[in-house]
Amino acid sequence: MRIGILTGGGDVPGLNACIKAVTNRAVADGHEVVGIRRGWAGLLELDPSDPDGAATHTLKLDPEVVRTIDRTGGTILHTSRTNPAKVRPADEPDFLKAGRVKDEARDHTQHVLRVLDQVGIDALAPIGGDDTLSFALRLHDEGVPVVAIPKTMDNDVHGTDYCIGFSTAVTRTVIFIHQLRTSAGSHERLAVVEVFGRYSGETSLVSAYLSGMDRAIISEVPFDVEKLATLLMDDKRKNPSRYAMTTISEGAHFVGGEMVMGGTADAYGHRKLGGIGAQTGEALKEITGEGIIHQQVGYLMRSGSPDALDLMVATNYAVMAADLLLEGTHGRLVALRNGTYVNVPVEEVRRGVKRVDVDALYDTDEYRPKIRHVDGKPMFLY
Amino acid sequence: MRLGVLTGGGDCPGLNAAIRAVVRRGVRGHGIEFMGFQDGWKGVLDDACEPLGVPETRGILHRGGTILGSSSTDPIRAEDGPDRVRATLERHVLDGLVVIGGEGTLKSVVPLAERGVRVVGIPKTIDNDVAGTDTTIGFTTAAQLATDAVDRLHSTAESHDRVMLVEVMGRHAGWIAVHAGMAGGADAILIPEQPFDIDEVSEHLRRRHAGGRSFSIVVVAEGAAPIEGMLELPEAPLDENGFPRLGGLASWLAPGFEERTGFATRVTILGHLQRGGSPVASDRVLATRFGIAAADLAAAGGWGRMVALYGRDIRDVRIADTVGLRNLVPIELYRDAAVFFG
Repeated sequence: MRIGILTGGGDVPGLNACIKAVTNRAVADGHEVVGIRRGWAGLLELDPSDPDGAATHTLKLDPEVVRTIDRTGGTILHTSRTNPAKVRPADEPDFLKAGRVKDEARDHTQHVLRVLDQVGIDALAPIGGDDTLSFALRLHDEGVPVVAIPKTMDNDVHGTDYCIGFSTAVTRTVIFIHQLRTSAGSHERLAVVEVFGRYSGETSLVSAYLSGMDRAIISEVPFDVEKLATLLMDDKRKNPSRYAMTTISEGAHFVGGEMVMGGTADAYGHRKLGGIGAQTGEALKEITGEGIIHQQVGYLMRSGSPDALDLMVATNYAVMAADLLLEGTHGRLVALRNGTYVNVPVEEVRRGVKRVDVDALYDTDEYRPKIRHVDGKPMFLY
Repeated sequence: MRLGVLTGGGDCPGLNAAIRAVVRRGVRGHGIEFMGFQDGWKGVLDDACEPLGVPETRGILHRGGTILGSSSTDPIRAEDGPDRVRATLERHVLDGLVVIGGEGTLKSVVPLAERGVRVVGIPKTIDNDVAGTDTTIGFTTAAQLATDAVDRLHSTAESHDRVMLVEVMGRHAGWIAVHAGMAGGADAILIPEQPFDIDEVSEHLRRRHAGGRSFSIVVVAEGAAPIEGMLELPEAPLDENGFPRLGGLASWLAPGFEERTGFATRVTILGHLQRGGSPVASDRVLATRFGIAAADLAAAGGWGRMVALYGRDIRDVRIADTVGLRNLVPIELYRDAAVFFG
């Protein structure tokens, strides 16, 4: 069997460990593994009439090639946000442009099926978040054997309690928050720490919970900046070191306000978020007259090598995905449920992105995590 | 002898190590008694201080920030500032002050000295721009934190075939940028001392990508400047002391790079993450040596002087001789970094 593997969406630490483990598991049983470069874009841009097409867009993986890759973050296969079922004019390769009349997104799934056939890929192990995996589901519907592997630093894929990358992102954020404490304390300031996480507040909520932040603003709950100012000033008064800190999701918004967008939407409806932290900082400064530190953690959250938990999950997901493909089980999403490795129907990704269970985990009056009754909850609380 | 101690300006790693050394040497070596002023010059103006002895400075060597707090308050600009400073010193019967600060904090020393306020200085700033000393407390740790960030951002830049602009601090000097860029293997470094041509840098990134490299990392000093007349930068807002508030240059440059290179360009602004955390070994050693030397200098009556690193030696220089000057990145160092561009 020849297994194709690819990584899509934002990079996270742990992807390389996953690629390595799939390769080693499959090759040990006498199968072949082909890495597809730049996510689904590698298949979209592969021109079947180009004799070098396969060499340009794919990479044969064997134990020698993957020997050391697990030690670093990112992905050796590179990644893209391309979804072949929704291709913008800018992402459409020239040889597929024929017949385009309008600027709308076009569906090139049939082309991808032809390419898979030509390269001789029998089964696919795509690693991605909800958007990357939605195309995996599409291919599954078309009859391609697929086992999907969930990754996102937002931990927002339905059907699993855990996605590769979340732990390292939170670990790094917690470290950065503690590093900022010395500056916030020395200058007796209010600090606003803005975290990635798109429309999901998990990274803000969990980082705040684990680092003992005073407050956490999450995407799911619009906030009143006057009230936040009052709460933070109260926190500052009570803190012997005379400072206060809050996390804020990049996707957070003011009560009655729109989500703050910096930049424009891409073809998949992903907008480049950012800017709410700066705006909140300005507003807090105006209301309180205090000095403000506004810091975006941004790309540093997912940069660098994976922590032990992400290595553990990435490697086990890979072994499980390879096991399923080799035994002929398809249409599955590898997952963690209640602390146990399981596989669930890949249709789960149709449910979109998972968001914070606000009622169970967040105090909407106090703007901070409210974690009670942990007994019986999954390891990551939701 | 009785002395006050204060830390002024932006916090940086190593301040606590310096405070600890000043107090330990002063108390044990010279029988000096210390008062710690809170929040820099502000604490002196407002008479906010507490006795500072050896017990208060235990266990702080490795901690970032400053146990005394800090501020950018300028005693010269404050109403009746010099008189209030003198009144506070007289009230607590202090012979003088040990001032740990950067250019802004130290420059107040000269006019204060004319009014009879006696000071010895210890230079600190992550920007490393204080004239008269080879290095300041905090610089090496900031350069290390920036290097760590450049290292880690490689994986994300490479995975996405991107140009990553990493903006570092440094005000009008490019020290952090050059060190982090050299140590992190940056593909280009933009610093204030060497005005850049965005077309040339973009061309050079295009060449690099055409040669098979699919990503680039550009370290941008917050005070970097384009060649005059080439690119109109937005006016930086001024802070309470009339200094431009830098930061955000990389976000402003990113669309220009994207347009000229055709590569997706993303920005990481390290900001306060460069100041945080624990000082690296060489900053602890420098701060400790500076602190010891400053206590000795005060005991010997070396008022109006600051301790300084000169090669491997600690010396002291007249603060008045350093005011208005800046320690900038020499062209030779930048040329060495440029060997590895592209």
